[in-house]
Amino acid sequence: MNTDFLKLIGIAALTALAQGARAELKWEQTSVDLKPALGDKQAVAHFKYENIGKTPVHFKSVRASCGCTAAQTQNEKVGPGEKGEVTATFNIGGRTGTQVKTVTVQTDDPDPSHATTMLTLKAVITPLLEIQPTLVFWQNGEEPKPKIITAKANKDAAIKKLDVISSVPDFTAKVDAGSAPNEFRISVQPRDTSRAVYATLTIKPDSPVNTASTFPAAARVMPPAPTPATASTPATKSTLSTIRRDPAIPAATAASPGH
Amino acid sequence: MKVSAVRQALLLLALAFVPAIGEAIYFRNKVSWQSPIPASELVTVEQARSWGDNVIWVDARPDNEFERDHIPGAVSLNEDRWNELLPQFLGQWSPEKKVIVYCSAQSCNASREVAKRLRDEAQLKNVFVLDGGWEEWLKSKR
Repeated sequence: MNTDFLKLIGIAALTALAQGARAELKWEQTSVDLKPALGDKQAVAHFKYENIGKTPVHFKSVRASCGCTAAQTQNEKVGPGEKGEVTATFNIGGRTGTQVKTVTVQTDDPDPSHATTMLTLKAVITPLLEIQPTLVFWQNGEEPKPKIITAKANKDAAIKKLDVISSVPDFTAKVDAGSAPNEFRISVQPRDTSRAVYATLTIKPDSPVNTASTFPAAARVMPPAPTPATASTPATKSTLSTIRRDPAIPAATAASPGH
Repeated sequence: MKVSAVRQALLLLALAFVPAIGEAIYFRNKVSWQSPIPASELVTVEQARSWGDNVIWVDARPDNEFERDHIPGAVSLNEDRWNELLPQFLGQWSPEKKVIVYCSAQSCNASREVAKRLRDEAQLKNVFVLDGGWEEWLKSKR
């Protein structure tokens, strides 16, 4: 009986020793919330760690969930008591709204529950300008009445004026104050709708926050509906071959809505 | 004895609910049981093929993956270069055609995001997401 009891104590002691001797990364935080400033191109999260174990930890891989995020660690090996961080750089690109990206870190920790850690980066991206709809179009032969694009400016961007530039002279664009504060109404009108035309509308706010930003929209007069004889023609060819592309011309400039 | 066991079980259940509710609130937009897209907006490769030429394929993957290979005739539209690529796509869009967006695999989210933006921002109708994405397309070719 006594021998069994001693054996049990021995096993417990060895287990405790083994636990103490093993490597373990302790993360300061595994989730980071970021709020990039207006016009920022990147959001960077720092995930700090410390090896609280008695043996070194080696990173096997640090992998981001998407190509838009680059993740790297300072060192491949973390000695006992050493600290470091994994940096995740999220390229914002044209993204807006809440973005959640993850980074999976794998170490050589023999305990599977500690070997893999999921780091989460959450970024809330507020756009300078919200445009809706980004496309206005007229059917071939439709009455060439103006159609409205609404541009809602971020209140922190202090946008007083919008310039709208059409890539072709076949459309006119006029900018007025919208019904709500920080809102603009872009009235787009084709000169005629008898032939297919496509224009890129480049919307340029006068924001002091980010002077380089422009936003796209498009205006189109659609080609005539395909007749049975032309229906088998590849769509891209039939659409694009009839589209006229001219050098860009300034189409409209609007004064501040004043609110 | 029985009453005590039931009480303990209920207590444990209540304790488990606290972090669960917290997580549900924190990840309210990403809850696992809530599919980000309704089934009616998902199409299988088979369905998409049955639509024939009446489809505009949109590749939501990063540029390098699109350059490596893509569905024949697909237009590149990813969120890395949204402002540059959107006008190119809108120039090819046609109201009679269905738009099918795809990304790398079942697990990727890019196609859902792009499809949502086309519906919300460009106000396009008939925008679908390819179930299984590029990976599924490749499998169907084998």
